[in-house]
Amino acid sequence: MRAEGALFLLATLLPCALPAGAVAQQQRTPGERLPVHEKVLDNGMRFLALERKGAPTVAFVVQYDVGSVQEHLGDTGTAHLLEHLLFKGTTTIGTKDVDAERVLFGRMDAAQDTLVRARARGDSARVSALAARIHALEDTARTYVVPNEMDRILTRAGAQGLNATTTNESTTYFVELPANRAELWFALEADRMSDPVFREFYTERDVVMEERRTRIDTSPGGMLYESHLAAAYTMHPYGVPVIGWMSDLQNLGRQEVAEYYRRYYGPNNAVVVVVGDLDADKAVEWAEHYFGPLPRGEEPPPVLAREPQQRGERRVDVVWDAEPALRIGWHVPEALDPDAPALSVLTSLLTGGRTSRLYHRLVIEDRSAASVYSSLGPGEKYPQLFQIDATPISPHTPAEVEAAIYEEIARLAEEGPTQRELVRVRNQVEAGNVRRLLSNLGLAFQIASSTTLTGDWRDTFRLSQRVGEVTADDVRRVASTWLTQENRTVATLRRDEPDEEPIS
Amino acid sequence: MRRAAVVTALALLACGTIAGPTAAQQTGKSVVERLRYPPLRFDAPDPEMHEVEGVRVLFLEDHTVPLVTLFARFKGGYSLFDRSYYAATTALPALLRYGGTTTLPPDSVDEALEYYALQTSFGGGGETVFTSLNTLTTHLDPGLHLWIDMLRNPVFDSAQVEVWRGREMENVRRRPDDPQRLAFTQFNRLMYGDHPVGWEMDASDLEPEDLTPERLHEVQRRILCPENLIIGITGDVSWPEMEAKLRRELRDWPPCSGTLPEYPEPRIRSKPGVFLIPRELEQSILVMAHPADVHLGDGRYFAAQIGNAILGSGGFSSRIMARIRTEEGYAYAASSIWTMPRRYQGIVGAVTRTRPENTVPALELILETMKEMSREDPTREEVGTAVDQIVNGFVFNFETMAQIISRRMFYLAQELPEDWLEQYVAGVEDVTPRSVHRVLRDNLRPDDMIILVVGDPDRIGREGLERLGPVTILDPSTLPG
Repeated sequence: MRAEGALFLLATLLPCALPAGAVAQQQRTPGERLPVHEKVLDNGMRFLALERKGAPTVAFVVQYDVGSVQEHLGDTGTAHLLEHLLFKGTTTIGTKDVDAERVLFGRMDAAQDTLVRARARGDSARVSALAARIHALEDTARTYVVPNEMDRILTRAGAQGLNATTTNESTTYFVELPANRAELWFALEADRMSDPVFREFYTERDVVMEERRTRIDTSPGGMLYESHLAAAYTMHPYGVPVIGWMSDLQNLGRQEVAEYYRRYYGPNNAVVVVVGDLDADKAVEWAEHYFGPLPRGEEPPPVLAREPQQRGERRVDVVWDAEPALRIGWHVPEALDPDAPALSVLTSLLTGGRTSRLYHRLVIEDRSAASVYSSLGPGEKYPQLFQIDATPISPHTPAEVEAAIYEEIARLAEEGPTQRELVRVRNQVEAGNVRRLLSNLGLAFQIASSTTLTGDWRDTFRLSQRVGEVTADDVRRVASTWLTQENRTVATLRRDEPDEEPIS
Repeated sequence: MRRAAVVTALALLACGTIAGPTAAQQTGKSVVERLRYPPLRFDAPDPEMHEVEGVRVLFLEDHTVPLVTLFARFKGGYSLFDRSYYAATTALPALLRYGGTTTLPPDSVDEALEYYALQTSFGGGGETVFTSLNTLTTHLDPGLHLWIDMLRNPVFDSAQVEVWRGREMENVRRRPDDPQRLAFTQFNRLMYGDHPVGWEMDASDLEPEDLTPERLHEVQRRILCPENLIIGITGDVSWPEMEAKLRRELRDWPPCSGTLPEYPEPRIRSKPGVFLIPRELEQSILVMAHPADVHLGDGRYFAAQIGNAILGSGGFSSRIMARIRTEEGYAYAASSIWTMPRRYQGIVGAVTRTRPENTVPALELILETMKEMSREDPTREEVGTAVDQIVNGFVFNFETMAQIISRRMFYLAQELPEDWLEQYVAGVEDVTPRSVHRVLRDNLRPDDMIILVVGDPDRIGREGLERLGPVTILDPSTLPG
């Protein structure tokens, strides 16, 4: 956590966030005025550096323009598994003898191919025998491995928060280092970008299956989320869980992951951002030196799938031994659509804070819900869902809460928000934007995401400006256009008990 | 203001030389090994200590931006009261924020906070109530006044109390839905019995009579008073100016109505055993620990910290993570736990989650890893990694002024020396493989673990569990204290 470096932004933003009424229209938002150095390398890699004085630390982010939307049924979970495997080292880091490892990889992968065919035949004895063989070969290969070596090198350098995250449409690797050790990151990351080795593959696949068991298979909330998206999207890959379906994970092989890496991990598909106490010219020099020699990758194929228009409400039940919960989602356009700012304002009007309409009605007035949230997701690049999550307070039912939600939305679509509400939302949006910028890492993420989404790091700052210009009429229009009965999918978590009264 | 110059660096050579021109030479391990780093120099700001109207105040001036951040830390929480006050002491921070003041009803407080673009937080633990305010310098006067008004003159509006009570009841109802939360709360109960650490909120704690205005005012008057308070301030204001404002707001704050009792000494279960909460789950939750006697401030504390990092708290560089995750693929997350309270016993053990069939192998592997560590010295490389992470990452303790101030407030509350962080780094640098081994040999007893598993008995295998000790089946609703 870091505060003071970015706080000049807060100072410039907050005066326009005050409800005194004077929202000055500026040519450019304060975020856009940040002195970001931008350099496109010859191999197509986009590099951005922002120098900020403060404690001598630097945040590093690499974002690849690839995620689970590039997957298909049968290979779901590939993007995320690959993210894990990129911590396993390279031809020189993490190994004592990479050639000996590769010989064993070939034998393991052949056994995996045979295993998949045996599984298709239902030959479970053969499957078990082959799984044991793969396990034994991986144990042998492990004698050549220096485990977690990249992690150890960074840890010894005082690194903080080394991690990565995969979403529906991007994969992001990040870490912070003391400023004097910045060059170490360039050397390690360039090595990983050019020369990774997917060692310990089958063990890591088991780790990912355990991650799935934690996040989804033993979590009522995770299961409700997964089931809801799968029902709302019939063909667009936003309906596919990022972590992958369990049966796909069981059958994924090293070759498929390597192919995915080859196709999507070229420097031309990456955005690299460094933010902190680092001379920007020096950063550009290191970027050219370390990343410059990497060859350009192939042009990744576009995602052309488009979800067909929904023609009628869909309802899905998840039966689970847990207290009930509710999820509603309406199809709405992608984040760059002209309607997106008004939809963003709508989420704040409904659930942003104690005075918001749904929070006040359900949690404070009716006391029928313990919580209610709304959001746009699961990604932003393609048409998204306007999502509402609520947990009823017993003995109130999901049906009661759902009915109250529709009532409040109808009222808002009919009457529109008051001017006072709009000003409050503007304040929240501005403050939220500022809070995201209060750390080097947060800023590096925003610059990277904006560049990946539109090619211009300033665009997400501009988007927040447009949110501030949304009118009451805009809100009424988007609420009545998109939040309709036939356009929604409703998922309910409930115990295996007789059905409640259906909603009319 | 005293400024301490801090230098951390292992290598003193100037910036790294750059390798040759081809890609093959520019990346990889040999390049990393050739890099040399300049020393990292920075000035660590040092807060001033003052006293205003009987309240201890830490202050750090910072004019980088026109903002002021204030923290208040009160001694007092549910651990210092008997069980009948559990709900009132737990609700107190939230109801200070939501319940209104003698001059402003709850809605007006919400509006005022929004009007001045103030950011506040209200929270607490078993022994502390903690709150903060962030404001533009221009709104410091009204912001400070409102914030102190919320702390000094709360009214605990009955409708807001009911909202809190209803949500907390639902929280209790939903506790079994998350198997990890169930495992952790039941494990605390198993280890600590009727000590506050072992408490979990029940519907019987949340009757309306547990949250009457009288009850809430009583805990407020015992906790929210000058003797229990430490304030920390950083930002765009000078001390003379700030002192005058504080004096106005803190004047005539009545003293505490009676002193708080001492934290009750825990009596932690030491009898080993295996406990199973049967649940048909796709993944078991595993928790194990036994009592431990290393304390924050002890001579052995530093070796225990490094030992814990090597055993399992140090992420991918630690042994439990390496064995359980990297080598066997048993789990996504696995780590050791070692609590080292200043004055009382703590616990040492481990946690992980794995599919039912791997439950017993994972438990056995963790215990075996612990045995190895209590048998022999860790390697120099392992100790070096754990020490380097702390020493080279030292600068991350000074990333923000707010971080510096709140850490010093903690030291003051814990009666630690003001240069504790520097002592900590120096202590850690003196740790050797031998000292790590000694503290683990004397404090880590894998055969004495109290083990709790939440999971599916049929798939886990009763026989396997019994290899680890006599198995007791627990029903969470009737668990003995």
